[in-house]
Amino acid sequence: MSSVIELENLTKDFHLGDNVYHALKGVNLTVEEGELLAVMGSSGAGKSTLMNIIGLLDNPSGGLYKLDGRDVSTLTDDQRSSIRNLKIGFVFQSFFLLPRLTALQNAELPLTYRGTHPKARKERAIKALEKVGMAEFIHRKPMKLSGGQMQRVAIARALTADPSVILADEPTGALDSKIGQDVMDLFKQLNTEDRVTTIIITHDPDVAAQCNRTIHIRDGLVHEETGVNS
Amino acid sequence: MNIGMTTRVALQNLANSKLRTVLAMLGILVGTASVVAMVSSGELATQQALQQFESLGTNLMAVNLYQMEEGSNHSESLTAQQANDIKTANANIELVAPYTSIFSNVVFMGEAVNAGIVGVTASLEKVISINLQEGRFISPLDIDAFFCVIGQNLYNEIKPRILGSVIGKQILLGKDYFTIIGVMQHWPQNSFFNQDVNNSIFVPIKTSTLLSKYAQINSIIMTLEKDADINDVEKSIREYLNVVDAKDKLFFRSAKQLISSMKNQKQILTLFLGLIGSISLLVGGIGVMNIMLVSVVERRREIGIRRAVGARRRDIQKMFLLEAIILALLGGILGVLVGVGTSFIIASFAKWTFTIFLLPPLIGFTVSVLTGVFFGFYPAYQASRLNPIQTLHAE
Repeated sequence: MSSVIELENLTKDFHLGDNVYHALKGVNLTVEEGELLAVMGSSGAGKSTLMNIIGLLDNPSGGLYKLDGRDVSTLTDDQRSSIRNLKIGFVFQSFFLLPRLTALQNAELPLTYRGTHPKARKERAIKALEKVGMAEFIHRKPMKLSGGQMQRVAIARALTADPSVILADEPTGALDSKIGQDVMDLFKQLNTEDRVTTIIITHDPDVAAQCNRTIHIRDGLVHEETGVNS
Repeated sequence: MNIGMTTRVALQNLANSKLRTVLAMLGILVGTASVVAMVSSGELATQQALQQFESLGTNLMAVNLYQMEEGSNHSESLTAQQANDIKTANANIELVAPYTSIFSNVVFMGEAVNAGIVGVTASLEKVISINLQEGRFISPLDIDAFFCVIGQNLYNEIKPRILGSVIGKQILLGKDYFTIIGVMQHWPQNSFFNQDVNNSIFVPIKTSTLLSKYAQINSIIMTLEKDADINDVEKSIREYLNVVDAKDKLFFRSAKQLISSMKNQKQILTLFLGLIGSISLLVGGIGVMNIMLVSVVERRREIGIRRAVGARRRDIQKMFLLEAIILALLGGILGVLVGVGTSFIIASFAKWTFTIFLLPPLIGFTVSVLTGVFFGFYPAYQASRLNPIQTLHAE
C-alpha cells in the first residue's frame, strides 16, 4: 500500500508584526491510500493550518510534504492550483456551492479548469452525482436543495475531480445528526467501495469513531490515537 | 477554463445583478455615444461647410482691395475698365466679375424697401452661378443703363404690391428710377461673394458709379482654370495692379485654400469634440471599475471556491476581465447606436445633410472596449491576488 500523503517535521509559522506564531511545530503524518482518517483538535490547535497545507492552499514554512510521492513543500501559486485541481477534493462545512450554478454545473467545476471536453465533463459529473444519490436533482440550483443534498453535491464535485485525497472540513457540522449520519455513511461507502482516501476534520467523537484512524492535533503537534478504531 | 465557458459564466454573472450591470453599462453607453455624436456632428458640420463649393466649384478666387490709411492721396479703387482687364494679367484667369456695393434708399410703389444695391457685371451670373426665375440678367450691352435685377426675398416682398409681372416695373434707387429686368432664384450663401444676394438689387457696375460718388470697385470675384497655380495668379494680379510692395492692401481668397484650411479646422474640431467625449467615456470607465470592485468584494466566496477547485490566478483574472469587457462591449454597441442617432437629430435640427460616417462609430466602439479592458484590469487583478484561504472564509 503506497502512501498518499507524507509529512515530515512539517512546520508553519505566522508572522504577526514582530511576533512569530508557530502554528505547526513539526508534524509527522503518513496517510495511506484508501484510508479514512479523522483529524480532531480544539480550535486554534492548528487543524485548519494543517488542512490548508495538505490541501495545497498554503505552503509550509519548513519540513517536507510529499503528495503521491512528489515533494510539494515549495510550489508557486500556479503549481499549487494545478495540483490542487488534479489531486485534492474539498468538502466544506457550509458546502460552498456556487449558488448561481446548477448541481451539475457545480459538480463540473473542477473539470472546467482542466480543459476537459464539455461532453466528457458532463458525463463524469453526472456519474459522480449518481454515486452520491443526486441523479434526479442535477438541474437544481443549491437554493432548491436541502442541506444534506447540498453536501452530497459538494461531495460529487470533489469526486468528479477524481482526486488522490478528499479533504472534508467538518462535513457534518452544519447538518442535523440524522442527515449528518447519512453523509458520514456516504463517506464510508465511498471509502470501502471505491477506496477513496478521505481525511475528515471534525469535533464530533461519533464521526471520528467511524473512521479507520483518528489523530489529534494539540498545540501544533500530532498525537496519534491507535487502537481506538477498528 | 476556455473562452466560451468563461464568457457564458461572465454573462450569467452580469445577468444576475441586472441593475448594477445596466448602470455600469450606462456610463460606457453615454461616453461612447458622446464621442460618436460629437465627432460625427463635427464631420457633418464640415461637410456642410464644404458643400457650398459643390455648387460653385473649387476654382473661385476673391480679390479685395483695401483702403490705405486715412489721409492718403491714392485712390484705392479701380475703374470698371481696370477691373475687367485684370483678366489679362494671367492666362489662368477664366472669368472676372468686379462688383461694388452702395447704399441708397430704395422705394417701390411709394413704399420704402430694405435692400442692398450692388453694381455688377454680366460675368457675375456665370461666376457665382446665378439662375434667373424671370427676365434676364445684366448684359454686357447694358453698360450704364438704368436696369436692375432683384433677389428672391425682395421679389417676394414687392410682388404682393402689384398686379402682373414685376418685369418692366420701375423701382426708385436714390433719385433715379430703374427698370426691373430680371428676378433671381434663391441663391445659397457663399463666403466668396459677401453680399446678401437674395435681398439685393443688381445694377450695371457703370451705372452704380453714376449713382453714388462713393461707389468704389474694390472687390473682384473670378474663376480660374482648373489646375491654376494660385500663387502665380496672385503674383500676376499684384504686378498688374502695381501693388507688389503693399502686401497688406490686396487680399486674396481662393476656394482651394479655404477648403484646405477648413479641413485643418475640422481636424482640430474633431480632436476637441473627441476629447470632450472621451472625458465622459473616462467617467464611464471609472463607473465600470467601481462596479467591478464591488463585484469582486461581493464574490470573494466564489473566488475562494473556484481557487479551491483549482482555478489559477489568471483564470480568476480572466473571468473578471471578461465581465468588464462584455460590459464595455454592450455599452459600446448601444453607445454607437445612440451616438449615431443623436448626430442624426442634431443634423435634422441644424438642417444638415445626414450621412453615417464609418470612422467615428468605429473609434467610439474601439475606445469603449479599450476602456473596459483598462478599467477592468485593476479589479480583475485584485480578484486574482486574493488569498484563497481568506476568501473561502469570507462572509
